[in-house]
Amino acid sequence: MSDGLSFTKEKSDEYVKVSLVGEVDIYTSQDFKNMLYEVVDCEKMNLIIDCKQLNYIDSTGLGIFVGALKKVKQYDKKIVLTNLKDNIKKLFVITGLDKVFVIE
Amino acid sequence: MGDTLDTIELVLPFKAEYVSVARLVTSGLCNRMGFDVETIEDVKVAISEVCSKLVSIGSNVSQCYKIVYSVSEDVLKVTYLCEDSSLKCIFNNGDDGLAIHIINALMDEVELCTSNDYILSMSKVVEGND
Repeated sequence: MSDGLSFTKEKSDEYVKVSLVGEVDIYTSQDFKNMLYEVVDCEKMNLIIDCKQLNYIDSTGLGIFVGALKKVKQYDKKIVLTNLKDNIKKLFVITGLDKVFVIE
Repeated sequence: MGDTLDTIELVLPFKAEYVSVARLVTSGLCNRMGFDVETIEDVKVAISEVCSKLVSIGSNVSQCYKIVYSVSEDVLKVTYLCEDSSLKCIFNNGDDGLAIHIINALMDEVELCTSNDYILSMSKVVEGND
């Protein structure tokens, strides 16, 4: 029914890369939030979020990104979003979040 | 806005796992009406935002809410209904700022607060259908 959401985590000396697969919506958002905040709080490193296989995100998911960014900044680190699909990048532009996040 | 040709109704429980069903139905319907791929994504997002909000607040009266798709030659109008008449103006400008902004940006006409018997309505015009 739903794509659901899964993720993989890779760690290097300078950053943690989280790759998202599936959809972030109200059904998957709590798992997504738990995972992302745990990575931020445990690793305290720069975070790269690869969205190549992220097919859908809603305002709930965008809010979680914003929350994670606030946490990351507490550790003086940054979040970089990569490989956003056009439909997802459009939401960042509409909401002005493209100016808040580093998008590559 | 043209006369309604067909009406499709989708009744969903106030459960998060069924919001993706609304997106699937919306996608199929928009495709059939001739919306381009980008616009289909836009309508899906807008409709899903409303479903998510409804699910998050739930209802004291009803188990389900209804999405009514009114299809005309060149316009898709989407209306949300529920037995619970207290469900009005479900979005507030504070917490729901992102959702409201997204819905208003992606749809052509949006009626977020209404005195009618539905919760809200929004519509999208098929471009290029002269």
